[in-house]
Amino acid sequence: MPKLTIDGIEVEVPAGTTVLQAAEILGIEIPRFCYHERLSIAGNCRMCLVEVKPGPPKPAASCAMPVAEGMDVRTDSEMARKARKGVMEFLLINHPLDCPICDQGGECDLQDEAMTFGNDHSRYGEMKRSVTEKEMGPLVKTAMTRCIHCTRCVRFTTEVAGVPEMGMLGRGEHAEITTYLEQALDSELSGNVVDLCPVGALTSRPYAFTARPWELRKTESIDVLDALGTNVRIDVRSGQVLRILPRLNEAVNEEWLADKSRHAMDGLRQQRLDTPYVRKDGQLVPASWEEAFAAIRAKVAGLDGSRIAAIAGDQADCEAMTALKDLMGVLGSTNLDCRQDGAKLDPTVRAGYLFNSTVEGIESADALLLVGSDPRWEAPVLNARIRKRYLAGGFKAGRIGPAGRDLTYPVEELGVDPSVLIEIAEGRHPFAEVLKAAKTPMIILGMGALTRTDGAAILAAARKVADTTGMVTEGWNGFSVLHTAAARVGGLDLGFVPGSGGLDTRGIQAGCASGAVEVLYLLGADEIDTNALGKAFVIYQGSHGDAGAHRADVILPGLAYTEKEATYVNTEGRPQRTKVAGFGPGEAKEDWKIIRALSGALDKTLPLDSVHQVRARMAEINPVLGTMNAVTPAAWEAFGTEGPVDTAAFTTAIANYYMTCPISRASPTMAECTRVFINGNQERTGTDG
Amino acid sequence: MSIGTRLLTMLNGEFVGEDAHGNKYYQERTKRLSNPLYRRKRWVMYKGKAEGSKVPAEWHAWLHYTNDTPLNARSKAWEQPHKPNLTGTLGAYVPKGDDRAGGTRAASTGDYQAWRP
Repeated sequence: MPKLTIDGIEVEVPAGTTVLQAAEILGIEIPRFCYHERLSIAGNCRMCLVEVKPGPPKPAASCAMPVAEGMDVRTDSEMARKARKGVMEFLLINHPLDCPICDQGGECDLQDEAMTFGNDHSRYGEMKRSVTEKEMGPLVKTAMTRCIHCTRCVRFTTEVAGVPEMGMLGRGEHAEITTYLEQALDSELSGNVVDLCPVGALTSRPYAFTARPWELRKTESIDVLDALGTNVRIDVRSGQVLRILPRLNEAVNEEWLADKSRHAMDGLRQQRLDTPYVRKDGQLVPASWEEAFAAIRAKVAGLDGSRIAAIAGDQADCEAMTALKDLMGVLGSTNLDCRQDGAKLDPTVRAGYLFNSTVEGIESADALLLVGSDPRWEAPVLNARIRKRYLAGGFKAGRIGPAGRDLTYPVEELGVDPSVLIEIAEGRHPFAEVLKAAKTPMIILGMGALTRTDGAAILAAARKVADTTGMVTEGWNGFSVLHTAAARVGGLDLGFVPGSGGLDTRGIQAGCASGAVEVLYLLGADEIDTNALGKAFVIYQGSHGDAGAHRADVILPGLAYTEKEATYVNTEGRPQRTKVAGFGPGEAKEDWKIIRALSGALDKTLPLDSVHQVRARMAEINPVLGTMNAVTPAAWEAFGTEGPVDTAAFTTAIANYYMTCPISRASPTMAECTRVFINGNQERTGTDG
Repeated sequence: MSIGTRLLTMLNGEFVGEDAHGNKYYQERTKRLSNPLYRRKRWVMYKGKAEGSKVPAEWHAWLHYTNDTPLNARSKAWEQPHKPNLTGTLGAYVPKGDDRAGGTRAASTGDYQAWRP
């Protein structure tokens, strides 16, 4: 452990630490543009120059200089300041003076540093260099004249996103950052280059010229568009969500955010349900809450509980599911399910539906078996974590499922159907040896494998793989289920599943078609086949007018995730809470309050008068939901039903990454992404193309 | 119009002209002072309520000694007929987003598009 002195303070840091990191430990901030904690060190912006003794009598780039015993570093000496001033002057030679029309204005690193190290005037009289704009797709807007060549975006796309599509061409004054083929960045993490860009060269296209950072009210919240539970910051002006940025959480998303979670927020102002509706003579007409409740009461009163059913959707929050579960209980119904995709998950054993290894645990895994899962689409940020593990070396991945999809790290294609999984479970497959040889092997079981009719048998086979290859040991559980819906684990934790003799999603749908189920309560469930619900009386509660609302007989307008304080449990079983960033439209109300009010209208008043009572009830059902932001390891017990498996190939759980929920389906930006990335309508609008 | 103005008009008023709205313009018949800098007083007898904005531009120029004679009204094709201040009347200006002006306004933050079946 070398000992060194920084600005007169002695510090001992591990060998291999850079001077800049050592200064960071002491709380001394050295200005930088190109250095980033999660990217490789480039050392090309020269802003982090410091004076180092002993050594040559010139400043050294602290980001790329490893510490050495007895070093004496001055970060604020005359020499360091003069050197940085010089660097700043060079950077500003070719940087346009368009801060007033630049989207980065107010949150620009160059602007901030120029306040400290910039000169009051320019000594440069010649023309500034101009660079043509680059086409980077519907999410990233470019103004490459502003680029200072820090290459953060190049390093991000190459290292973290794993799509080497960006690079620097030319040298000297002619150096340009570009996408090699002048086409959209084919990555689900492309939005992050906007955050990384220290200047306004890469900005968010949907957010362009919309707001200034000081106009925005920032709310720290949770994303629910995938099951990862990414920590986000929601920026709001006048009640309208203008952008969503990632928030640091080492255990979940580090500091990345997937494109859908970042840009689907413009769907929050499209297709909103802002008033209750009641179907009269085949037409949905706007109604008051009283009329809507009266219509439900007229249908439900006196009806036997077994003829009522409820399905919770992909973004239903735990509070609403608690209230709805209790309401179903007092109505005498056991027909409720939170697995609207029909996944054959075993709700009785928590370890059977969690991402037990945890997201952070991926980094300590040394072999991985993907079964019917495409993490690149199902949880792009989690996929980046797997790639991070792959880059660290000594990691082997195999996949059973649709082949050919690039996951940004090499995978061994083991086969496409469940028979391979059985072979591995029985030790007849070579990959079983890989898993057995690994110290901490893991299996990621996707919804593509579990939503099949033989899902329960596949779950049992996956469990057998985990048992026979030693995936579950003291302190390590490699059995990981990757969910596609933010509400799923919460629903399973709350037991929002069929009770004794109750129907599951498929049973409810069949019951609706046959007339056995007369009243169906959809809590934001749009992914089921709403045309096959027969003559059932459908109550739809949700935020958007999607498939469920079109079929509904009564619509109760709820709130979207940015408008309510609600609990969601991510795929690893980590309960997290969203915060109110803006108010909902029109008459829309918080979801659990709607159910509580409905229970009163049905004369079955639930004892849930405040959010505290709801949360206490949640914790009573499952104590895990009382501990926020922490993962509670689940006990390894028997789950799954062994049985014959189908030989049909696995399919992917997601057909289109950019449109998976009512919010993203309503979003114009996601529609544009679908047009470009899914349908392949690349526009060659670059000035050279 | 005060009694004083009426008296002055009767005793020493010289009728100069009348605008399109029926306002009548007068000036002093005789110079009251011999001072060469003294200008003959000019005034208007409004038709109806006394309201300064009723005076059209061509007479405004004369009234304020900008011109010796009233300007030629509507000499240009693009000139609009003069309108007095309409504040407080039904013809008052209302912004585009106001319900009285049709209620259509440009999109602003906080807007959302509601779903209609």
